[in-house]
Amino acid sequence: MTHYPDAIRTVRWMVRDTFRQSVATKLFWAMLGLTLLCAAFCFGITVEGAIERPRHPAELPTYLPKGQKTPEVVAEGVRVADGKVTLGYGLFEYPVTKNKTDSVRVILIWLAGVVADTVGVLLALLWTAGFLPTFLEPAAVTVLLAKPAPRWAVLAGKYLGVVLFVALQSMLFVGATWFATGAATGVWDGTYWFAVPLLVVNFAVFYAVSALLAVCTRSTVVSVFGTLLFWLLCWAMNFTHHKLAAEEVPGTTRAAGVLVQVGYWTLPKPLDLGGIFFDAMKAEEYATPIPELAAAKARGSFHPELAVVTSLVFAAAALAVAGYEFRHMDY
Amino acid sequence: MKGAAKARGRPSPGFPISGAGAAPIMSYSVNVRQHRGLALTTAATFDKVEKTYKTGLFGRGGVAAVRGVTLTVPAGGVFGLLGPNRAGKTTLVKLLLSLSAPTAGTVTRLGQPLDQRSTLGRVGYMHENHAFPRYLTASELLAFYGGLSAVPSAELDGRVEKLLERVGLADRKSEPIARFSKGMVQRLGLAQALVNNPDLLVLDEPTEGLDLSGRQLLREVVREFKAAGKTVLLVSHVLPEVQELCDRVAVLVAGKVVHQGPLADLLKDAKTGKERALEGALKPIYERHDKGGAA
Repeated sequence: MTHYPDAIRTVRWMVRDTFRQSVATKLFWAMLGLTLLCAAFCFGITVEGAIERPRHPAELPTYLPKGQKTPEVVAEGVRVADGKVTLGYGLFEYPVTKNKTDSVRVILIWLAGVVADTVGVLLALLWTAGFLPTFLEPAAVTVLLAKPAPRWAVLAGKYLGVVLFVALQSMLFVGATWFATGAATGVWDGTYWFAVPLLVVNFAVFYAVSALLAVCTRSTVVSVFGTLLFWLLCWAMNFTHHKLAAEEVPGTTRAAGVLVQVGYWTLPKPLDLGGIFFDAMKAEEYATPIPELAAAKARGSFHPELAVVTSLVFAAAALAVAGYEFRHMDY
Repeated sequence: MKGAAKARGRPSPGFPISGAGAAPIMSYSVNVRQHRGLALTTAATFDKVEKTYKTGLFGRGGVAAVRGVTLTVPAGGVFGLLGPNRAGKTTLVKLLLSLSAPTAGTVTRLGQPLDQRSTLGRVGYMHENHAFPRYLTASELLAFYGGLSAVPSAELDGRVEKLLERVGLADRKSEPIARFSKGMVQRLGLAQALVNNPDLLVLDEPTEGLDLSGRQLLREVVREFKAAGKTVLLVSHVLPEVQELCDRVAVLVAGKVVHQGPLADLLKDAKTGKERALEGALKPIYERHDKGGAA
């Protein structure tokens, strides 16, 4: 029988404990250190020579590459990409493909979509995967479970604590890299902040699976590797679905097609979540699209709202099963 | 709910400063049952309780740890739970604390069924193998468990300070538990069991790892509980301790209760009428009933 004030109090204390754990185990500082490294990298970005001018609404967002800048082209008023982007305080440089804003946006897309959403989420999953299994060790948790704290609230509090911790780190990462890039280049792109919900939702979905594995096995190893394998499975399923939707793949049976459909609609959709962020950043105007995602969009089989809802429903179901299992577990 | 509200409004325990002539842990000696207006005569009851732990693939196998136990722990006083290893003593404690669910039978805790988890707010629990979060300091740990036990935040800090003084850890309150010895962790375990000022204190092999002064402290705590009209359920293999502290005992062998009643009855030889040591009283009981053991 759940007494709701007990549940709320439990969640509050568990969230607080998780933040304390992240600070005491230096995880907070390790993630903050990576954020500062990325911010330092952003601070070393310069974009030189790319002339910025207002774009006419009817104008196609196309430029000729720098090498094709001939007197005739210039005379006709065709825009030619000019200038260079330097990274690492001048250590690396490459030519600007379009204008200054879009050059910076490409870097931000890489930072949020690849560094944070792939490497960052994987690192966060790896580093926080041990939180629950060690916490659920019988010798560690029996005293806590003998308190008037509902078991489901204990688990939910720990889960929420880790997700809030990652949300805080995501905000720090996005905020620091946004500020450093803006200060270094003068390009202040507010849509970059959409990366925060993308990172949090992506992490929350996969951490629910980590929690389920932790409750069922109480093993950090199973929790870490199980979650990584599941993450790979979801990416593969998401890619495969869009690939099959876009083109005829030789040798694909009807049964395999149905299996992919069921898998796609059941499992979380990390590629689609990334696609929502790319859309928010208007990435199609200046970056090479992911072919499978572009094909899915072209065919109308990319549904951003459903991708978010079904991913979250999966996470909620995984958490509910974990909560049920934990509630009925003998210690 | 009314009882719970009254419980929240109860006086704070006057946790004293340790040292020579330390005042008792419970500064009031009002009988808790009268104080709360509750007609509570039992701290715990077990009625035909069975517990079988599932084993093997998909839990198809099972090991019976408790077999048809019917037992009453009266409110007030010190109740000892005795028995050889694998007799089912710790399993009974876990059932009482809702750490495990009984396979059959009924258990009540402070007069309420087990699904009333709020009664756990009136229970303190200390066991032999604590593995507290190593990243917490002593005072953070007590505040954490106190918070989870619904201790009002206004009282929490003061209570933590007094308890740390009482168990002799006041000078180490800001150190992470990772640096503590086993004995210090046991003292902290005792402090966390008292942080909610419980009516029922469950001690499972509490003196394991404690030094002489720690054991002395534990005895003082048990006596103070008894004087305050509260209940202590003590599981211990240290028979002199049981003999010194307990009023009533139950003896478990192979998952069954083979004796329960006043300790004095057990210490009196039925044939000769003479007093005997507890060890001498238990040995023939264990031998008579232990045929194969339980988990």
